[in-house]
Amino acid sequence: MADFEDRRDYRGGGRGGPFNKRKRYREDDDRDHPSRNQRPRYSAPPPGTQLRKGLLEIGEDTLRMPHEVAIQLARLLVDNYDDEYVKDVFTITTMKLVVEQPVKIPFVAAVVLFAHMEKKEAAQDIVSTAAEWFDEYINKGQWRSAKLMLRFLACLSRLFEQDGVFPILDELFNRAVDLQTASPEDAVGLELVKIILLTIPYLLAYAEDTTLPEKAVALLEKTDIVASAAHPVEALVDPYPGTAEGAERPMVCASVISLLQRQLQEEAATGWALALLPRIFDPSLKSKIPNGDETNGNTNGDSNTKLTFPSIIVPSPINPGSKTLFPELFFSLFADQEIESVPPTSNIASTLLRDATVDTINLLDFNRIATAKVLNELDNFFAPNIFVKRSTTFDKLRDIPAGSTTWKPEDVTIDAVFSQIFALPAPEHRLVYYHSLITESCKISPGAIAPTLGRAIRFLFRGLDAMDAELGYRYMDWFAHHLSNFEFRWKWTEWIPDLVLPALDPKKSFIVGLLDKEIRLSFAKRIRETLPEPYFDLIPASKEKDIPDFKFADDATPFAEEGREIIYHLKKKASEEEIQKVIDTVHEKAAAQGLDAEEAQKRSTDIYVTSILSIGSKSLSHVLSTIDRCKERLLALGPQSEPSRRQIISSVFDFWSEHPGIAVNIVDKLLNYTIVTPMSVIEWTLKDNIDRGRALASPHYFELVSITMFKVTNRVHQLLQHRNNTTVPFEQRLQINDALPRERQGMRDLFAAIEDAVAGVAAGAQDEMIERFDGEDAESEYIKAWGARWARVWRRKAAVEEQIANEGLAIEMVEPAAVPLPMGEADEGLGEEMDQIE
Amino acid sequence: MPPFRLQNTVDRLDKPSSYAMSKYKKQARRRHDDPRDQQPDRQPSPDLEDKLADATTLYVGNLSFYTTEEQIHELFSKCGEIKRLVMGLDRFNKTPCGFCFVEYYSHSDALDCLKYIGGTKLDERIIRTDLDEGFAEGRQYGRGKSGGQVRDEYREEFDPGRGGFGKRYQEEVGYAGEYGQGN
Repeated sequence: MADFEDRRDYRGGGRGGPFNKRKRYREDDDRDHPSRNQRPRYSAPPPGTQLRKGLLEIGEDTLRMPHEVAIQLARLLVDNYDDEYVKDVFTITTMKLVVEQPVKIPFVAAVVLFAHMEKKEAAQDIVSTAAEWFDEYINKGQWRSAKLMLRFLACLSRLFEQDGVFPILDELFNRAVDLQTASPEDAVGLELVKIILLTIPYLLAYAEDTTLPEKAVALLEKTDIVASAAHPVEALVDPYPGTAEGAERPMVCASVISLLQRQLQEEAATGWALALLPRIFDPSLKSKIPNGDETNGNTNGDSNTKLTFPSIIVPSPINPGSKTLFPELFFSLFADQEIESVPPTSNIASTLLRDATVDTINLLDFNRIATAKVLNELDNFFAPNIFVKRSTTFDKLRDIPAGSTTWKPEDVTIDAVFSQIFALPAPEHRLVYYHSLITESCKISPGAIAPTLGRAIRFLFRGLDAMDAELGYRYMDWFAHHLSNFEFRWKWTEWIPDLVLPALDPKKSFIVGLLDKEIRLSFAKRIRETLPEPYFDLIPASKEKDIPDFKFADDATPFAEEGREIIYHLKKKASEEEIQKVIDTVHEKAAAQGLDAEEAQKRSTDIYVTSILSIGSKSLSHVLSTIDRCKERLLALGPQSEPSRRQIISSVFDFWSEHPGIAVNIVDKLLNYTIVTPMSVIEWTLKDNIDRGRALASPHYFELVSITMFKVTNRVHQLLQHRNNTTVPFEQRLQINDALPRERQGMRDLFAAIEDAVAGVAAGAQDEMIERFDGEDAESEYIKAWGARWARVWRRKAAVEEQIANEGLAIEMVEPAAVPLPMGEADEGLGEEMDQIE
Repeated sequence: MPPFRLQNTVDRLDKPSSYAMSKYKKQARRRHDDPRDQQPDRQPSPDLEDKLADATTLYVGNLSFYTTEEQIHELFSKCGEIKRLVMGLDRFNKTPCGFCFVEYYSHSDALDCLKYIGGTKLDERIIRTDLDEGFAEGRQYGRGKSGGQVRDEYREEFDPGRGGFGKRYQEEVGYAGEYGQGN
């Protein structure tokens, strides 16, 4: 295991220095480890251990041919098949590999095929287990695992007497049709069709049955209607919705199943070459199986004895699974460009590679270092000569003669990782996982990955105008985080020409937001050091000031005296009465100046909040403890007057104007305290501060609205989860069920408020705008585009939340039987047993 | 032979570190040797993994002394909302001494942090994360002789982010010792 978290630093003479009390002397060693110098001579580890290691590392050894490795492992298994432990090792390791490292499926399948030649029983056992696991996955609606187990069985097709997995595909298709007929917005049926289409190539590559191509063509004719129809939700998950009319889209983004359908039809027409998939098993290699002992009776297998395919029933109706599914578009930064550095989207290799890579990435999120290693060695797991040599530079691809491959493994893997960062509505894991995976990939092979990343970054930057606003934000967040891991090094000079763009241009907004994110992870002075001089204007000296001035220290500020009094009292932890006295003075003075009561209240609120912020300006914990101390008064403000509540937010953003990131964080905490409400944040941003729509170009406002809405939607998710959690007492679940409509309505109101504000901007309907601009003005075009960008993001989010809530509420609430089951058995099926094998 | 178990095909990064495990084993051994612990009816103390099964707190190490709460917040909130952040302080000066505790609202957020943030850089240093039983008052202070962390006492390498050379090392070798004299 990588020792990246080693506490001790071994660099230099860290050990054995004169003050290192941990120094070990030879005597210590002799005492502690008397046998240290008399290590027993090497003896091979036991067969179970060899088998486990061999299986886990399958495909990784480039010094031996894959079939040699498979034959050796098959031999280990066959020779020790009477050892239950060895059998278990084989079964469990194989199953786990199938559902965790899909790129290895054809390799472990080859081991089974070789083992079958000698011991039919060994193959039969693993097939039965695989069928059981498949059955379990399909019953639970765990579609990815079901897909992978089906793929494993498809890779074993030549073992089966009759049809093997094909009837399952037919059954899955029937279910898909049922679902699609029931609802045009159904996504589960699409997922089933995707599974069918992704199984067909493996089936045809590894089966012997000569009738299969014909059957596959027949099935493809049927899937065509589902796969080729445009899904109504697709437009919502389009990463490039903002392409101007007539302009070329940065990428096509066809739906994955429509691509698969066309690619497979193409393969069918060209005789199912399926050149990508590795062909490891070859019965003629049987004679080469190093048979340790011919007389031990292990050769009871017969390569011609076929197995019966276990009966598998696809339930009807099927279990849709717990995950809300959305149609998937094929996101690629590199496909279909002038130089073919990844397979074109017309080639089945593009989707097969993407599917195997993305599954590996998402399944192995618990060890990004291991995942990066698998990705780095991706070419090992496919047919030889499918890729150019690792680290081949992009420019070299031009010199490769026509007819040879020009696919770069680095481009394929980085493309796959980005497809997740840019997945809509959301990728499976936290975005930071994919960030860290790219970081690890760069560490493993900096020379090969960095140039690929560079092309990805440029591609994304060029397409910012048309990119979905949420994705633009993810891009910025990733890039800043990535750079913070690599000394903030980037070819900043490339973007100098873009610095003159107006603040409302998406590229300029991106650069400004990016630098701010960098500063938040580091500090202003450091970031300035990493930039060329033309960028300096974006990081003025004022950004270096960690602690903002207290504006009431300046007598020119209205109510300066009262401001100083309040902060003095707060620092002194004076009584509420004393503070109230000063606030009353403010109100009196304001009235004397002709300000109305509301304005007066806002002034005193500003003084109070600014004082809290100033006292807490040293760090987040300082401000939090101060807010906590003052929360009674702050909580009382909102119910008194909504303008005062919004004044709190104004004061935070005014005080931290040079570090709006801190302001966003503080508002986030104020939301937790319910000192401000989600609606007050939305209205403050999109009404009070919309600035004729200009506010929408500000990444901070996008962040502020995003965190606010995340809190709201996350709460609804949690309630839904509790509602449907059978371990929660039924009474409580009913209460939650009763509370849900109200929470949901609150969420809908917020989405509606956002829609109201941004749709107006998108339509150019803001009154003041019409007065200022007459038609073609560039600024008004920018603003309308921002309005449209925001509108799409929040309409999507609203639609996604509706779907999640609808699915969650559709689950019937059944009161559990009066006699409770013994603890732990209530809702555990075979699945938990399977987990216990772990 | 015990039955074969295989949790995953590759190691998981969301487990307690070998440091935490060895520290725990040491404590367990000490308890084992303690005659008070020999009573047969005494419950065995819970396994470390059980103890950390719901942990929401992380120990974060190898920070620069100059890394601020805001920076830590910025990075660590990528794994979920932060409930509490406690900076590690020099026992005497009450200044940051290169570690902190980050508490999340949920266990899974803490695990995500081990998986996705531990071993990456913050403020241009590779940071270390470890699952922690939970913060208790007093633990925010360094346990080294000079007030900081023990690891900073004897360090022979110059680390500008962590106060230069180790403090003991400076004194004993006399490195830059005059800085302490004031004239």
